[in-house]
Amino acid sequence: MSTNVNIQDIRASINPGAPIAYINDKPYTLEPGETILKFVRRHLGKDLVPTLCDAPNLDPFGSCRVCSVDVALVQDGPAKTQASCHTPVIPNSFIYTDSSRIKKLRRNIIELVLTDHPLDCLTCEVNNNCELQTVAARVGIRDVRYPEGKNHLDKEKDLSHPYMTSDFSKCINCFRCVRACDEVQGELVLSMAGRGFDSHIVKSFENTFFESDCVSCGACAQACPTSAISDVFESKSVAIDEKTRTVCTYCGVGCNLEVSVVDGKVKSIQAPYDAEVNQGHTCLKGRFAFSFYDHPDRIKTPLIRKNGHLEPSTWDEAYEFIANKLVEIRDNHGPDAIAGISSARCTNEENYLMQKFIRAVIGTNNIDCCARVCHSPTALGMQRSFGTGAATNSIEDLKYTDCIMVIGANPTDAHPVTGAKLKQHAMKSKTTIVIDPRRTELARYATHHLQLRPGTNVALLNMMLYYIMAEGLEDKNFIEARTEGYDEFMKQIMAVNMDELESITGVKRELVREAAIAYASAPNAMSFHGLGVTEHSQGTFTVMLISDLAMITGNIGRPGVGVNPLRGQNNVQGAADMGCQPHQGAGYLNAYDPEVNKKYEAFYNSKIPLGKGLKIPEMFDASINGNLKALWLMGEDVVQTDPNTNKVIAAMKNLDLLVVQELFMTETAKYATVVLPGASFLEKSGTYTNGERRIQRVQKVVEPLEGTKSDGQIIVDIMNKMGYEQAAYDPKTMLEEISQIVPFFAGVRWEELGDNGKQWPVKPDGTDTEILHTETFKRGKGKFHYFDFKESQEIEQHEAEYPYIITTNRELEHYNAGTMTRRTANVKILTEDVLMMHPEDAARHFIEDGDMVCVTSPRGKVDIKAKITDEVRPGIMSTTFHFPELMLNIITSDVHDSEAMCPEYKIVSANIRKSKGKFKQLAEV
Amino acid sequence: MSKNLSDLSGRKGLEQNLFEELGIAARETGTPSQEDMERLSESFLMGKANVYGAVSFYDFLRPENQGKKIYVCNGSSCMTAGTQGKLEAKLANHFTANEIGTMTCLGRCHENSAFYFNHSNYSGKAIDQIAEIKNNGNPLPDQYAVSSSGSAILTREYPEVKEYYQIFEKCLSKKPEELLSELKDSGLRGRGGAGFSMAFKLDSCRQSSSDTKFIVCNADEGDPGAFSDRYIMEKRPHALLMGMMIAGYIAGANWGVLYIRGEYPESVDIINHAVTSLQKAGLLGDNIKGSGFSYNFKVVEAQGAYICGEETALLSSLEGQRPEVRVRPPYPTQQGLFNKPTVVNNVETLANVPFIMERGGKAFASVGTQKSTGTKLLSLDGFFNNPGICEVDMGTSLEKVIYELGGGFRKPVKAMHIGGPLGGLVPVEKIESLTVDFDSFAKEGFLLGHASVVCIPEDFPIIQYLEHLFAFTAHESCGKCFPCRLGSTRGFEMLNKARTSDYKVDRTLMNDLLETLEIGSLCALGGGLPLPIKNALQYFESELKPYFKN
Repeated sequence: MSTNVNIQDIRASINPGAPIAYINDKPYTLEPGETILKFVRRHLGKDLVPTLCDAPNLDPFGSCRVCSVDVALVQDGPAKTQASCHTPVIPNSFIYTDSSRIKKLRRNIIELVLTDHPLDCLTCEVNNNCELQTVAARVGIRDVRYPEGKNHLDKEKDLSHPYMTSDFSKCINCFRCVRACDEVQGELVLSMAGRGFDSHIVKSFENTFFESDCVSCGACAQACPTSAISDVFESKSVAIDEKTRTVCTYCGVGCNLEVSVVDGKVKSIQAPYDAEVNQGHTCLKGRFAFSFYDHPDRIKTPLIRKNGHLEPSTWDEAYEFIANKLVEIRDNHGPDAIAGISSARCTNEENYLMQKFIRAVIGTNNIDCCARVCHSPTALGMQRSFGTGAATNSIEDLKYTDCIMVIGANPTDAHPVTGAKLKQHAMKSKTTIVIDPRRTELARYATHHLQLRPGTNVALLNMMLYYIMAEGLEDKNFIEARTEGYDEFMKQIMAVNMDELESITGVKRELVREAAIAYASAPNAMSFHGLGVTEHSQGTFTVMLISDLAMITGNIGRPGVGVNPLRGQNNVQGAADMGCQPHQGAGYLNAYDPEVNKKYEAFYNSKIPLGKGLKIPEMFDASINGNLKALWLMGEDVVQTDPNTNKVIAAMKNLDLLVVQELFMTETAKYATVVLPGASFLEKSGTYTNGERRIQRVQKVVEPLEGTKSDGQIIVDIMNKMGYEQAAYDPKTMLEEISQIVPFFAGVRWEELGDNGKQWPVKPDGTDTEILHTETFKRGKGKFHYFDFKESQEIEQHEAEYPYIITTNRELEHYNAGTMTRRTANVKILTEDVLMMHPEDAARHFIEDGDMVCVTSPRGKVDIKAKITDEVRPGIMSTTFHFPELMLNIITSDVHDSEAMCPEYKIVSANIRKSKGKFKQLAEV
Repeated sequence: MSKNLSDLSGRKGLEQNLFEELGIAARETGTPSQEDMERLSESFLMGKANVYGAVSFYDFLRPENQGKKIYVCNGSSCMTAGTQGKLEAKLANHFTANEIGTMTCLGRCHENSAFYFNHSNYSGKAIDQIAEIKNNGNPLPDQYAVSSSGSAILTREYPEVKEYYQIFEKCLSKKPEELLSELKDSGLRGRGGAGFSMAFKLDSCRQSSSDTKFIVCNADEGDPGAFSDRYIMEKRPHALLMGMMIAGYIAGANWGVLYIRGEYPESVDIINHAVTSLQKAGLLGDNIKGSGFSYNFKVVEAQGAYICGEETALLSSLEGQRPEVRVRPPYPTQQGLFNKPTVVNNVETLANVPFIMERGGKAFASVGTQKSTGTKLLSLDGFFNNPGICEVDMGTSLEKVIYELGGGFRKPVKAMHIGGPLGGLVPVEKIESLTVDFDSFAKEGFLLGHASVVCIPEDFPIIQYLEHLFAFTAHESCGKCFPCRLGSTRGFEMLNKARTSDYKVDRTLMNDLLETLEIGSLCALGGGLPLPIKNALQYFESELKPYFKN
């Protein structure tokens, strides 16, 4: 092939006036400020210039010098050697990527590297996937001419950690791990130590991975170009059969994962760099906590309770049993004696099927999902304020924001990848307001931390709103053009009693004022909230006040602003979108509206109920009252995770039929009449919708374990069994059906979702939406609402006898009930739930760190290990419910949000005393 | 470098400085305890590894420094003078081997036999009183010749503070732009080695928008053989301080930071004293003399790392980070100390500023050559009959410096290493072809650099000197870029092996190594080492021949 190209011809073809530079004498257009490496790679691909210290998600660093090129100001003129990764292109310069001098330089650098590197490639775990090996082959090293000298070949391996490994004899000192730990995860666990030839990577104070402060995100291992840092799954090994791209099953961030399979089994997981959601990053749950999927505890056959015991059965037997029982109950007690709870852990398609089954086959609106117990107030509150109950913006917007406000959320633990991005913002001292009873990791770095008493969000936000008005910082134009109800709202806010609010929240007014001014005066401010907002008796009101804050400051409808709930579960957004709630069907259409009902009836080709359905807490009450006879749970462990365990158990026990679709014998499954073995996310296809409304493809990586079925297929089977014709579970055809009924899914097609998915609403032509409410609100005008602070009943009724407040939180290592994470090596990293308490409280009760504490609440008592820390204020304690050994929800209350019925997990009135043994007051199975 | 760490360090401003805290924590035992490091990492919101990583970098902080009581200078000049063997032997009578450390160049090159004890430097005959020194301290006066030929800008006497700072007060009555234009007219180029225009840097910083800006004085005069910055700090401190204040006024910076090497304890004390006298005179603080301009100084004592003379490493060091050389852009004038616009200038450069402001840029430019304006200080080591500091107009013949001001050699010398370890190795036969200015040296294949002169006597083997240069670079390499980290050690190993066994260095391999260092290194340390090596290979070919093959 001829490479004789006339420069003038090419020049003429390039947009005249655009800046250019030459690569190996051919002209290319230049983007302002770009480095030589970016410029070359943008035009000629990533292989033209080799690199070692460069990585796609890290800042240019300039240590390896392998990317050097020659740069001349005139063609074939005197050239200067420049490291391309950090040198900006000079317009009209001539870049030579492979001059003989450059080739020699690269060869000589690699020769030096090889003087201190073991030459055991063939037995190395990254053989054929080692960047050093690739570059060495590329530059053509024949031998190492230096005499043997000092080296690091005798460095010991570190195998201390359940996941992370290191073998620093293989380290080439490129700093990629150090930079990943800093620039991506923000954890600062790794550093170089020593200097010159003796410089070497350390973890904390020369510790092992296990002893160090490592959070096991694996970013360093993925960044490492050799096997100097790796993981026990050898995720950089190329000895695999295939790789499948899918979406993480844990939190609502929705990280893309690349799963490697060997012999039909999952070998390891990495994070793709081109993933828009996670850009090559993920956390220890996404990357490492997958071994639950073929854990021996997996249920591999349907079970039917016979003579008080769950006994194995065939699928046909189980379906027959269930169908007969459901028909019998429906016939005797009506369809409203049956209810279903869908799963935010399952796919959109499965959730859609579940609600369709309950509505179209059973004939009741008794369908709900675990959004009820987490973000139902968000959906409801934002619908009331804006018209749409979902994040207004995208996580990508963090690039454009000047201020973040994080309320009642601990994303570095609960949404680790978004948490890491928020932390990067905070670490750079950009305005960061954290409103949280705990000094969370983000609060440590924040410019403002308002450490309020749990349950006083409404009071605190009213204080903020007051100061914004008092300082005249409201966005009058936005209020005028885009909102309604402001005048009345302003009167109410300006009438608040600041002394009272200050004493309620326990936060000095001056701190609140400063934070309010910071939020209101930032050019672009973004708010994020979590369950610390929603899981309160005033949860929905708090969400609406957060919306007020965004509207009063005009922070809606453009990049870098908005109200952004950090959705908890991988598909909690999707479960609600698909209609798994009693009052709204698929696509949030009003299930109680006769007109809408007609539409559904026509579409489902079945009689669809109009009667009010039960929300989850109402289902428990109905069961206890004897009105609810059958409950179908798809992957939901209500016994361990819903509040007031003993009440939930009573509800389970009072049912005639409890069907549980599960992976494991959970605390709830123990009470089941029938257990149906479902399939994990690795064993099925479908879509999840993450917290930023992004519909992404989940792709089957391995076949379901023998004896198990995808949850969608189970629902399809029972629908058919009960006489409703439903095609076999297939995400493509299901999506087609969904796109016809869910308006904002109109343009969603399985094939077109691609690797990075689409953010709803997706128009019929397939275009998606990164930012909502850009011109008008979904409801027309945004509506201001004012609410008075109201003390929780829990405090009002029990404060005298139970003076402490326990709030609940999440730890990084475990996910919710821990059903999955406890069946991985994560359990070696975090072994139990603990109770965080302030040193003053501990001292008052003579409790030392690690002592067992007996915690009593009006519902019951549990024994839990104390962790003494000043992360919490005196009088406030915090703990988790990841472990069934503890069953913390024995003590939580079933007070719930006045509007959406989300339980108030965040406030438990409690008393404590030092304890010696374990006590768990559980109703018997 | 880490932008996050720069920011986290900067949150506490200069008042509580992480790097300084590490030095304080090391005072008692020679290295900070783990508890101290943990406390500091917590307080600065950094990782333990960051703090430990920084500690382990510095000669006077790292764990190996624990228990050291006395330090022997192992700089080039003391080495070629051959004084340190005897010195160590004498010290061994008073200190255990573990108590004796080394410091690389105490700046006592004029009389050698240098050592550091208890925050004081000693040299010359001081070792004979070691018992007395050990018991009572008792530093002796440091005496060396100071001479000048021509304009004497830097060595001139200046009056008392109040009178001298009239220059500064007058500056405050003018616009920064006017002063900048004087500076442009002066043609003042940085004296630290690179010869970059000072006005350009100040202007760039002035134009960066930020509430906070810094003027940083690079007083980490690490080049073995150089002590001219030490001279200025100890004998002309107010020329430097006023220079920084005027630079601050021009750039819009309210902080002057002096990063002074720990090997110069007297400089640290004298500068601190000078700052106090400025405070007393009401010339520092907020709204100085009602001018609206505010300025404060921060004096930071360094902890033993040559690389900190590189400006970006120096900035990282000031932040308590590992002083690894940063990539550019961003340039310090855009994102420097704590990510804020910063001008970093050398001591001698800044000390010229008061003269320029007093007499005008043109007056300064009329001294020296067209491209190298002003004067230059040279440090002459103990091989000269008049060792010490001399100031000459740029363009003065080297011959004049050596034979007139320096009084010639007191012992036969075959070469001079001029301009620090990365400067050229000038054989005596080249003396007459050189003049003291940037261009003459560059043209002849040498480097004026900081204009220190270390003599290599005829009986000192060149191979040993080259081995020393590689060893120095290997010891001082920050370890960031591959060529320097690996190449300096491999170069040392080859030369050492050739000197001590029958191994012959492959000349092609040596050439490859030198080219790799020269064009591949990130900063001037690795990039500059090949110059003296190549000079030696050229001018001392026959002496070196037995150690090479091909």
